[in-house]
Amino acid sequence: MREKRVNIFSTIVAVLVMLFLIAPLVVIVIASFTPTAVVVFPPKGFSLKWYENIFSSSTHFMEGLANSLKIGLLATLLDILLGVTAALSVCRHDFKGKNALLNYFTSPMYVPSVAFAFVLLQVYSQIGGVPGALRIFIGHFIIILPYIVRNTVSVLHVFNWTLEDAATSLGANPVQVFFKITIPVARPGIVAGALLAFLYSFDEVALSSLLSTPKFITLPIRIMNYMELTFDPTLAAISTFLIAGSLVLIVLMDKFVGLDMFVK
Amino acid sequence: MATLELIGLTKRFGNFTAVDNMSLKADDGEMIALLGGSGCGKTTTLRMIAGFAEPTEGRILVDGADVAKIPPYKRNIGIFFQNYALFPHMTVFENVAFGLKLQKLKKPEIAQRVADILSLVKLTGLDERYPRELSGGQQQRVALARALVTRPHILLLDEPLSNLDAKLRIEMQVEIKRIQKGLGITTIIVTHDHEEAVSLADRVIVMHEGKIQQIGSPNEIFERPCSAFVADFMGFSTFIQGTIGPAEGEMRPVTCSGKLLYVPGGAAEGIAPGSPVTLAIRSENLQLVEEEGENTLSGVISAVTYKGTTTRLEVTGCVAETVCPAVNEYTQRQLGEPVLVHIPAQRICVYKNV
Repeated sequence: MREKRVNIFSTIVAVLVMLFLIAPLVVIVIASFTPTAVVVFPPKGFSLKWYENIFSSSTHFMEGLANSLKIGLLATLLDILLGVTAALSVCRHDFKGKNALLNYFTSPMYVPSVAFAFVLLQVYSQIGGVPGALRIFIGHFIIILPYIVRNTVSVLHVFNWTLEDAATSLGANPVQVFFKITIPVARPGIVAGALLAFLYSFDEVALSSLLSTPKFITLPIRIMNYMELTFDPTLAAISTFLIAGSLVLIVLMDKFVGLDMFVK
Repeated sequence: MATLELIGLTKRFGNFTAVDNMSLKADDGEMIALLGGSGCGKTTTLRMIAGFAEPTEGRILVDGADVAKIPPYKRNIGIFFQNYALFPHMTVFENVAFGLKLQKLKKPEIAQRVADILSLVKLTGLDERYPRELSGGQQQRVALARALVTRPHILLLDEPLSNLDAKLRIEMQVEIKRIQKGLGITTIIVTHDHEEAVSLADRVIVMHEGKIQQIGSPNEIFERPCSAFVADFMGFSTFIQGTIGPAEGEMRPVTCSGKLLYVPGGAAEGIAPGSPVTLAIRSENLQLVEEEGENTLSGVISAVTYKGTTTRLEVTGCVAETVCPAVNEYTQRQLGEPVLVHIPAQRICVYKNV
């Protein structure tokens, strides 16, 4: 009997926690379809007009989305080149200061982004005339590198380097070994790191808000600015839009590399 | 197929000499075992032949031609790795076909050769499995198939049986030998297990600290090790110290802790009378007897280890060293019981102490 009571108790706690996690999202998604000028729940009627508002040029959301995608994708792609090479060199060779170097590569993760943004601002003002897109790009490029390095290293730590010898003995030259063996085996780590890095960049507020110029503003900053002035269901609509986007990304990810990479 | 020749092969890592001036010639189709404990240089030798490590000195000749300038991916040497090194992101078929695809063969030919080799290692029907879906024995046979399918000049096997259980190990020994002889491929096998070496190889090379200790047929190495070290490595269990005397007819006496043992003159050739010597003998060759006689020592049993087909005894009190006979059946003999151990003279190996 006692055991059963414990079970019911933990079930209730578990259900409550899950509700707590999902309920706000559900409320926002449903409320985004309201025709009223303020967010109400449950919505009074059904309308897609706030969704239209996302796409209208007056909100600049689409422009922000494009900026965010540009920065995020470019920074992630370049960081894959940089981060994977860094991870490979640290993992492949045994040398003094190996861990120190690895910590150095991942250090941007431990620096508060506000402090980091302040430093960058100082540098930019010394140089002068750095365009807005570049200001944000450099910041994101540095701050997301650790995610790619760390996830790649976590795969390479257990990488069986004999695989490279085996491929070599079968006639694969160093370039073939790299692209047919090393990269495919390390791919789950690289993809997981790239995804986390991209999402971090896409979602980044602190750094971007300090570095952005009126001419180049990313989506999160656009949303924040909009929120300060107006508080209409457009915000619920754009939130729903972003939630759906993340969901699609997660489903794709699970299909191609499996999500167990993130649970480790 | 090919011949393989090592001439004065040496590998140093800083001050440490892993392989020291090693020379050897493997004939076409021959299977040679490099036998030794960990750190004896056998794996380093293998890596140099494969081209993964560069010799500090010396040369490697395949069919009489120096391979120093040939990069490892052009050497056409099949390697079986101790941990199999199967590509985890490829199926059995893709693993085996990897080398053939790099040779840019036509698809039907690749399919045919993979099918042939998989049937040779008895894995037909498992083409679409991934390595993680196979048992250890199956993975091992995939690794063997992959190493053989490119028709390499030379096959290198690195501890091929070390990860298998006893039953599978014997099966695979038979399989490897059958396939190797069937293809007539020159093979070097690296192992630390003397039984594996003598049962697989045509010739066995015992290595220690980078140096060759003995080269010989499995029978020579097993029965007549050239030094006390090799004898110990080949499973000799009883070592007795003594002083050898001058010849008495065919035999020579050895005084061991005051007892007299006779050894054949031939086994002690070239050892001056009065020299300190070590006598070595295998457990299986020691006999328990009921009557006193020549080469018979009396002692008491100090330990009994039942090993299934044999029972290993430790007998003390006859000479300074412990004598370890193995008897063929379960024995009723108890600890502390006095016994007579006969040491057959023809089975004794004699080594001059240095």
